[in-house]
Amino acid sequence: MASQTKAEILARHDANAALKTPLPGQITRHAKDLGADGVFSPLDERIIAAASEALEAGQTHYVDVPGIEPLREAIADYLNTSFSAPCQSGNIIVTAGLQESRFLTIQKIGENFDSIGIPAVAHPGLQKALGVRARNVVSLAVDPHRGYLPALDAIADAVAGGCRLLYLESPSRLSGAAYTSDEVAAIGQLLGESGASAIWDQGLAPWVEGGCRSLASTEESPAQVTAIGEAFPGMGLASWFIGYIAAPDDQIPAMQSQKQIMAICTSTAAQYAALEASSLFPAAHPPRLAQLKRLKSYIAESARDLNLDAIAGDALNIIALQASGGAAAKLRAAGFDCADGADFGAPAVIRLNVNTTTAEALQALR
Amino acid sequence: MSKKKAQGTNLLYQLIGEARSYDDVIIMGRGDPDFDTPAHIVAAAKNAMVNHHADYTPPEGLLALREAIAERVKRVNNIDVDPVTEVVVTNGGQEALFLMVLAVLSPGDEMIVPEPNYNTYADSLAFAGGVKVEVQTYAETDFRADPADVAAAITDRSRALLLVSPNNPAASVISPPDMQAMLDIAISKDLIILADDIYDLFVYDDFEHVSPASLPGGKERTLTLNALSKAYSMTGWRLGWIVGPADMMARVKELKAAISGGASVISQHAGIAALTGPQDAVEMMAEAYRRRRRLVLDALDAMGMKYGLPQGGQFVFADIGFTGMDSGEVAQRILTEQHVLAYPGSAFSKDRKDYLRMTFLQPEDQLIEGLERMKVAMLNMMAER
Ligand SMILES: Cc1ncc(COP(=O)(O)O)c(C=O)c1O
Repeated sequence: MASQTKAEILARHDANAALKTPLPGQITRHAKDLGADGVFSPLDERIIAAASEALEAGQTHYVDVPGIEPLREAIADYLNTSFSAPCQSGNIIVTAGLQESRFLTIQKIGENFDSIGIPAVAHPGLQKALGVRARNVVSLAVDPHRGYLPALDAIADAVAGGCRLLYLESPSRLSGAAYTSDEVAAIGQLLGESGASAIWDQGLAPWVEGGCRSLASTEESPAQVTAIGEAFPGMGLASWFIGYIAAPDDQIPAMQSQKQIMAICTSTAAQYAALEASSLFPAAHPPRLAQLKRLKSYIAESARDLNLDAIAGDALNIIALQASGGAAAKLRAAGFDCADGADFGAPAVIRLNVNTTTAEALQALR
Repeated sequence: MSKKKAQGTNLLYQLIGEARSYDDVIIMGRGDPDFDTPAHIVAAAKNAMVNHHADYTPPEGLLALREAIAERVKRVNNIDVDPVTEVVVTNGGQEALFLMVLAVLSPGDEMIVPEPNYNTYADSLAFAGGVKVEVQTYAETDFRADPADVAAAITDRSRALLLVSPNNPAASVISPPDMQAMLDIAISKDLIILADDIYDLFVYDDFEHVSPASLPGGKERTLTLNALSKAYSMTGWRLGWIVGPADMMARVKELKAAISGGASVISQHAGIAALTGPQDAVEMMAEAYRRRRRLVLDALDAMGMKYGLPQGGQFVFADIGFTGMDSGEVAQRILTEQHVLAYPGSAFSKDRKDYLRMTFLQPEDQLIEGLERMKVAMLNMMAER
């Protein structure tokens, strides 16, 4: 006998397009997979040693819901140093990766607001996290000439229209374009004046040469910004799934309680690995960035030679191109995977990971 | 948060925090086995760090792990699943639980929950906007959930039935005839069953665990969770799973991608080693829990305390009504005065203010000492009355 209850559940699921948005891979599957926005690097043997030692010493048990204290401190230090974000360990929740950071912030901070403003073009993980429990969404129009970042006017309009929670990416997860310091200051002022809050995905910021300003560091609105990102990207931790939330004191309890409800805590070994990565990151990151810079400029040059239209983006680990609808399929036919802008809300764009096979992929687009 | 106001999970975390401040504390609270993860599993994780750390995992988990899970649920639970479409790997049993609730319950939908039960179900249900309909169980009948009570609780908003067997905190095991009766009700009233098998390897005396999904007509309406946390002493690895019919699992998979993406590849490789490697450590630990359970029950009997017989699981839910005090207060005083952590029944259910949950996840000498100290604290409390 067919179950009517099940049929209803499945029908509701079928009607939930947001939940079914395809996601680009979080980790590279093979050398020609250019779909992820992480940077593949081997795992430093000191990280392997530290995680192994912790496991062998019996760190195989539950740990504190928001993360082990030394890692929370290390992340807080990193945010202070790299983003002038005034936070302490108590402001940090260690997550099982960026998607969990998205989910916890959108769903729990979102509970306090009637609506949430989200960029018309953004990482599809955002739609997915929203799809779990429907919220009123205000779409922020983006500027294609600014790497698909929401225009400041669009942000101002949303706030003027009563929207008091915004979710923003800087750099954009599609194009890598980041808001300038002045723009960040202007957004901060706007939020500060209207008492609005923001969730700020700064996960790609470490890939911007010279860094990029975080909304969490603006003086105008320090108390209302929750920043999220991957922990110590480029250190070989992508497949360990480890991210952070840095939130004002009053936002922490609700998210911490939800983290307990849905996960109890983040993998202990992953946390010890990330802790070791935190001490290696300051020395390991700059050469990696320099190498990516060379690679990206070479790829951009190849794109120009091939008459492909690269979108200006600050993050050195990805490159986005204006491309006709069939571009992703063309790449697939040549054995390459890419992130399809259609899944982000920009059908005429594709995004490629910057690595040694990217220039070759461009040939397939000719 | 003030001490008086903490409730449910918050109360437990407050007690855990205080327990940490005592050097001589005996932990009979948190469900975290005292054994460390077996060495061959740790070795597999190290190997994965060297050789597999860059493996790609889809949100539903590595196929090799899903295959090992499919083999396990067939062998242990007699559930047939296709590893490609009917298994999703999760960040622990906790995420599995959250996903199951989200997958099935929408705002206003009712889930029938035998009480007392693992408190996170109520929290997850609240997140989903669902409504908990309680069916009470009692120590006198060893916390048996009576199928007739379940049937009587069904309304036209009922969508799901939660069956945690062995149960946390009540430690009851649903007998095969009762399980058949539960499934018959689910079929006739068209409910989805959420089955939590996380303690399925810990069943005592002649009691028998049966997974509802193994019974004819069960699988297509049942989501079953399990995890490596308790059986393999792998609580820190955050590795669990859900198995169920392909159509529902497609939804579970989308939800998994939406809430956290994939599970740590290193943990997944450790999980493959756990499920496919030697099982003697599991048996050794299960045997230790059997001995400890006996020891704890003997001590409670000597103290004249009443409890529901733990038929499975890793704890006993004991009646402390004779103290005349609320379990939160009793747990607090036992902790502060005698440095023993046990969980108050009120954290599991508002109607269980007369109970304490004590785990047997400590070495035997510690358990004896812990129970002795608990007795001292309770005698003090009674003397004050
Ligand atoms: C009944 C039950 N289900 C699920 C869980 C979650 O366990 P974990 O997430 O550690 O696998 C627990 C933990 O105590 C439990 O008791």
